[in-house]
Amino acid sequence: MAKTAKIEVKEQGLVDSMQGFFRTLLEKGDINALLVPQRLPRKNAVMPTLVTDPEKINGADPLAPVFPINAAKVVSKLTRKPLHGKVAVVLRPCEIRAFVELVKLKQARTEEVVIVGLDCLGAYGNVDYLRFAGEDGNGSTQKFFQNALSGKGTAWEGIDISPACKACDHPIPENADLLIGLLGVDTNDHLLLKANTAKGEAILDNLKLPAAKESEGRKKAVDALVAARSAYRDQMFEETSEATADIEKLTSYLSECINCYNCRVACPVCYCKECVFVTDVFDHEPSQYLQWAKRKGAVKMPTDTVFYHITRLAHMSTACIGCGQCSNACPNNIPVMEIFRTIAHYTQKAFDYEAGLSLDDEPPLSVFREDEFQEVVAKMH
Amino acid sequence: MEYFDIRISLGLQEVATLSNTRVITMRKKIGSALVVGAGISGIRSALDLAELGYQVQLIDRAPHLGGTLSQLDYQFPTDHCGMCKMLPLVERDSSSQYCLRKGLFHENIEIMLSTELVALEGEPGKFQATLRQKPAIVDPERCTGCGECSGVCPVEVADEFNAGLTKRKAIYLPVPHNIPNSYTVDLATCTLCGECEKICPTGAIDFRWEARKEFRILVVDDELIVRDSLKDWLTEDGFQVDAAESGPDALEKLTKQSYHLMLLDIKMPDMDGIEVLKRAKEMRPDVAVVMMTAYATVETAVEAMKIGALDYVLKPFDPDTLVPLVLKLYETVERSGEREMEVGAVVLAAGFGSYDPATGNNTYGYGEYPNVVTSIEFERLISGTGPNEGRLLRPSDGKEIGKVAWLQCVGSRDIQANADYCSSVCCMFSIKEALLAKERTDGQVDAAIFYMDMRTFGKNFQRYREKAEKEYNVRFQRSRVHSVEPEGANGNLRISYTDLDGAGREEIVDLVVLAAGQRPPAGTEPLAEMTGVELNSWGFCQLQPFSLSRTAQEGVFVGGSFSGLRDISESVIQANSASLQASRLIHSKGGGLAEATEQSPEFRDVSRELPRTMVALCTCGDTLAQAANFDGVETAVSALDSVTQVHRLERICTQEGWSQLEEALHSSEANRLLIGACLPYVYTKKLRELGKTTGLNPALMEVVDICTPAFPNRNSNPEQVSREIRTTVAMGVGKVKGMEPTPPAAIPVIQEALVVGGGIGGMSAALAIADHGFGVNLVEKEDELGGNLRALHRTLEGAPPQELLEQTVSRVEKHPNIKVYKKSEVLQSLGSAGHFLTTIEREDEGGVTLEHGVAVLATGGKEATTESYGYGQSEAILTQHQLEDKLHGDSVNPAELRVVTMIQCVDSREEPRNYCSRICCGSALKNALYLKDQNPDIDIYVLYRDIMAYGFLENYYTQARQKGIIFIQYSVDDKPRVEVENGQVTVGVTDPILGKEVTIPSDLLVLSTGIVANGQDKLAQIFEVEVDQDGFYQEAEYKWRPVDFLKEGIFTCGIAHSPRSISETIAMAEATAQRALRILTSDRLTAGAIVAEVRHSLCCLCEKCISACPYGARWRDELEEKVMVNELGCQGCGSCAAVCPNSASVLSGYRDQQMFSVIDAALEEMF
Repeated sequence: MAKTAKIEVKEQGLVDSMQGFFRTLLEKGDINALLVPQRLPRKNAVMPTLVTDPEKINGADPLAPVFPINAAKVVSKLTRKPLHGKVAVVLRPCEIRAFVELVKLKQARTEEVVIVGLDCLGAYGNVDYLRFAGEDGNGSTQKFFQNALSGKGTAWEGIDISPACKACDHPIPENADLLIGLLGVDTNDHLLLKANTAKGEAILDNLKLPAAKESEGRKKAVDALVAARSAYRDQMFEETSEATADIEKLTSYLSECINCYNCRVACPVCYCKECVFVTDVFDHEPSQYLQWAKRKGAVKMPTDTVFYHITRLAHMSTACIGCGQCSNACPNNIPVMEIFRTIAHYTQKAFDYEAGLSLDDEPPLSVFREDEFQEVVAKMH
Repeated sequence: MEYFDIRISLGLQEVATLSNTRVITMRKKIGSALVVGAGISGIRSALDLAELGYQVQLIDRAPHLGGTLSQLDYQFPTDHCGMCKMLPLVERDSSSQYCLRKGLFHENIEIMLSTELVALEGEPGKFQATLRQKPAIVDPERCTGCGECSGVCPVEVADEFNAGLTKRKAIYLPVPHNIPNSYTVDLATCTLCGECEKICPTGAIDFRWEARKEFRILVVDDELIVRDSLKDWLTEDGFQVDAAESGPDALEKLTKQSYHLMLLDIKMPDMDGIEVLKRAKEMRPDVAVVMMTAYATVETAVEAMKIGALDYVLKPFDPDTLVPLVLKLYETVERSGEREMEVGAVVLAAGFGSYDPATGNNTYGYGEYPNVVTSIEFERLISGTGPNEGRLLRPSDGKEIGKVAWLQCVGSRDIQANADYCSSVCCMFSIKEALLAKERTDGQVDAAIFYMDMRTFGKNFQRYREKAEKEYNVRFQRSRVHSVEPEGANGNLRISYTDLDGAGREEIVDLVVLAAGQRPPAGTEPLAEMTGVELNSWGFCQLQPFSLSRTAQEGVFVGGSFSGLRDISESVIQANSASLQASRLIHSKGGGLAEATEQSPEFRDVSRELPRTMVALCTCGDTLAQAANFDGVETAVSALDSVTQVHRLERICTQEGWSQLEEALHSSEANRLLIGACLPYVYTKKLRELGKTTGLNPALMEVVDICTPAFPNRNSNPEQVSREIRTTVAMGVGKVKGMEPTPPAAIPVIQEALVVGGGIGGMSAALAIADHGFGVNLVEKEDELGGNLRALHRTLEGAPPQELLEQTVSRVEKHPNIKVYKKSEVLQSLGSAGHFLTTIEREDEGGVTLEHGVAVLATGGKEATTESYGYGQSEAILTQHQLEDKLHGDSVNPAELRVVTMIQCVDSREEPRNYCSRICCGSALKNALYLKDQNPDIDIYVLYRDIMAYGFLENYYTQARQKGIIFIQYSVDDKPRVEVENGQVTVGVTDPILGKEVTIPSDLLVLSTGIVANGQDKLAQIFEVEVDQDGFYQEAEYKWRPVDFLKEGIFTCGIAHSPRSISETIAMAEATAQRALRILTSDRLTAGAIVAEVRHSLCCLCEKCISACPYGARWRDELEEKVMVNELGCQGCGSCAAVCPNSASVLSGYRDQQMFSVIDAALEEMF
């Protein structure tokens, strides 16, 4: 049985009680620093912040329904080599899953990290969020959770959480060392704190928080949320498959692409130091463009846009965890997440692999199974 | 420790500096060897010797390479091929690098097919071999394999490749998948109609009719009509024919001129044929004579043949019998090329023959019922290249097969068939076929194997059997089927057998597969006589004690199944051993290994020039010009970027065409060459020579196939053909345009070996390497050499192991090239093939760091201990090993024993130790026979699951039963029970025949506990190699690289790899030496021209390439924080480049930009 405790909420509200918890964590949790989303002064932007001083935690708002970047990338920066210190990182489930992939890709290490995960009810796109939060950052977070947890939903004045979040079937950070639970929990009274690992347990013991039990209602609430999201997801797969069913449709789907590569920069699992599309490999001879133009009479510029997305799909769809940062970053609102998740769903299924699930599953292309893809390899005559 | 670390890092720096100097070296060929038989063993031995620098003559009497393996698509226990893994891994550019089942090229190997050894004279180190090759009517250099010839051939005969299940023509492809695949004429069935010669588009077929006019025939008969008709028939076939009406007339004609052939009547009035024959032979000893007779009996003809006639025909005859006979004589007399050559050593890898189930009693009705087939026939039946394209259909009526029965031991383990031996591979072969059948039918087919003992004694075999039984539901029925009969008229078969309980049973099946046993191959006796090797009582090559490759004749070695049937892995090991011995002999006779290196030609540096490509297109006479719009092709190709000139040549394959090409290249400014012709594979060697004469690096040349699009059976539309040719050429141009050849790296080699483990395996490996003149460091943790062999006192075959031990130890200790480190253990090791630094800790003298180029891990194994069957509870319960020891030390006296019980497979062949330890059945037989020999009154019971008396060990199993030793079979679900009371041991076992418990009060209970690993994991970690799930060393590939680790430069042998006997361990040790010598023979080795590199500035160290590399040639250098490539280990397969997302890992010669050009060219014509 996983160890559980409670983070008391009472009158102080969700945001303040979270901040209180993080202060305690930094003081008693035997860690050197905490990586947590903080509301930045003036604007209501929320960004990951590496905090060592408990006094500097007063802007922390990991529940704000926004994540301008997938923080797995930040954790990778902190952990790809020895950090010489222990850091607790507060992450959304999709960020944790991206981190798991990065560890497998040797871009991050788990040794000096404690992962604190939160139940995720979704996030707005960056632009939408600024409108939603308005002047009152903390208040908007409280409002969002009240609505979402009470069943009123996440939509507000024509804004709603991003499609990626609506299609997310992993709202619970099951592979965090410490899990902070909201779903099926009486959040007016407390939040659930659960240790999933030995690492998490040790910290939980240190914090000396009041004991709590995981409520019966929690599983039900989670199942209902996952069911709703899975239904949205399947619908999305169907529509996206249809919209990209052949090369003409695919070209049209991606026609607004301008090769800004924002999606790749935003992607947490696109880990190359330098993308092949900016190396000499795609530095075509000028005469080549003329040759391509000659072949069909006209060639769209810039070239290689569809090629770019297909290549990225080939490289990353086995590691895609569906956080939707690609769509969030696209200046032309191309539904990049939709096509990525759809393709990822099928490639991962083909390899009997689920990205981000476990550190123990080997990534598809690094293992060779003699008996896989028999329909391809076994019928050689 | 610090001191060693510094030394090691210094050493590695040195490696880095050295490997930056790139020198191309070519090794001299010193010494030569003949390999008879080009099956896998022959190929293995030939490649081995070629890799050591010897010139090798590889011959086979078949018209194709590959032996039996060419007929098998799948091989146990991995169910796929992988034969290509035998190709050279170091200096790999000396050899072809494509599917080995399709063909082989190596610059040191000359392959002669349809060739036999006809004489061997001289002495070891200096033999004179005479080879005879069958005439080649089809020129393989010209034959493009288009198949026109076969289309017009009127002959249809059974196809050997498909084991007679399909038909072929008299001009045919012996193996459909060979490359280059040239047609062969089977003169035995050819009618010489000449149609194929007429239709061949490349003029590759030449029956040399002109030469027939030179062939003079004299017909001698008193009857005019015979003379006239023979003259007519033979003149029509192109021969020059004279006739004589009597003996004296014939003799007179013979005085005037010589004749090649005389057709001579026996019964003539003036002088009879026998007399004419005698006198004719005196006058013209070379004349070939065939007797003709209407009345004569066979005796007369035989008498004639004793005095020199070649053959005889019975009158009356028609042209259909006589003319082919004459033609055949003509071909053999006139066209057989004989060649003499001097070779230092001979390896006989003549393979095996198969038992013909139609001989003998044939109670299974083979040959009578079409649905009774042999294993090989089944293999063809189910093959994708077989008669049903991979579908499992019944031969009699093409009906889908629902039920198949495999019958084991057909012509094996059968004293009546003079086969008191086990053919060793049939059990696994049948399991494999049963699995194949299951897979092909999605598990629908019912597959049952009827067997006596399931002999799964090889590594992983037991688990393979369990997979078949448990996952695939293959039925294993222990029983011997006594007969097969037809069930009704619909092709079904009824098999009758006796079950274990003695009850008669029957089953109705669609197909019966006979696991036909092994026989010596045809021609073994004359071959043995010619080469001086001895044969055993079953006609197989007799080996010397403790060797799997030495024969009675020094200098003649044997590889593969010629000395008893073997699976692929063992054949490969044995072939390695044979080539090692051959090399050792040649070396000892002063032949030596190649050490001298010569500088290869300096190629022009074109790196700063713009690409200028010369394209040469072969029109293949006017065949291609007719099939395509060649002017259009030429215009299109000329317009391609980088192409500066296009030449049209008539026949590039001829000497003349090639000279024209060479001349054109010489006089041009071109710095790239693209040839459009047929058969790109045959050009490898030619391009290399062209590079030498023109100074243009062959890496800047490419050959593409423009012939196939024009095959008449593919396409008759000239525009379509032209388009395909344009595309092919454009793609080729795209590829050569982007070539940026860098000279292959030369990797320095420390020409010394490290051998870890001083048992018989380690010592044998050390001696084999040291005998070739290289230093060996032999590390042994005990204070004495010998390992497990020290405790062995007898062998089943009788050769004394202690003599072997003494001789070997003394040779090792006296050998000037071997340094022995006793009481020493390996602490750590760094480096890669060619240069390792290994620190060893010596108990008395402290540590020392050794530099070496290769390492052999021969650390052995040990007898397992057990807690089963009351072991430890009584002094009367021993292991086999303890029994042998006590018998030797006289603490057990056979005379005092009344009952001895042995239990086999103690804790073995079930999880977690689910493997057969291979030697325990032999040990049990040995000890049981010894006890019986010492005291015939002892009752001996052997409780067993399957007696693994594989190969000729079967004979001892027979002897044991004949001497009254009782064998009781038990099953793993119902094991024997042991009770110990007051020291008295009683064994209970369920007798399957009686069906009830038998109790055996025993004076001794001997347990065969098997062999377990001996701490291999520790060394594996140090050397960065793998161990298998049972803790033994994990080889790179079971079948084809059985002694290699995945990491190049490290090898393993003996029990450390898997349980095996003394001779098997020695053979394996010799195999490791052979593999090691490939690396040691030169002070630097050349990497392949195509190797992977890492662009470090782009690399993000995700290490995907490291896990993707199938050769273990990549590692992460922790100090440098870089992914590194071992250029010697890299085989240029490109897996790393494929898995790398941002082209940080690239393959020279296959860069992205280059591939884009190729793809663009391919798409050009499409859109």
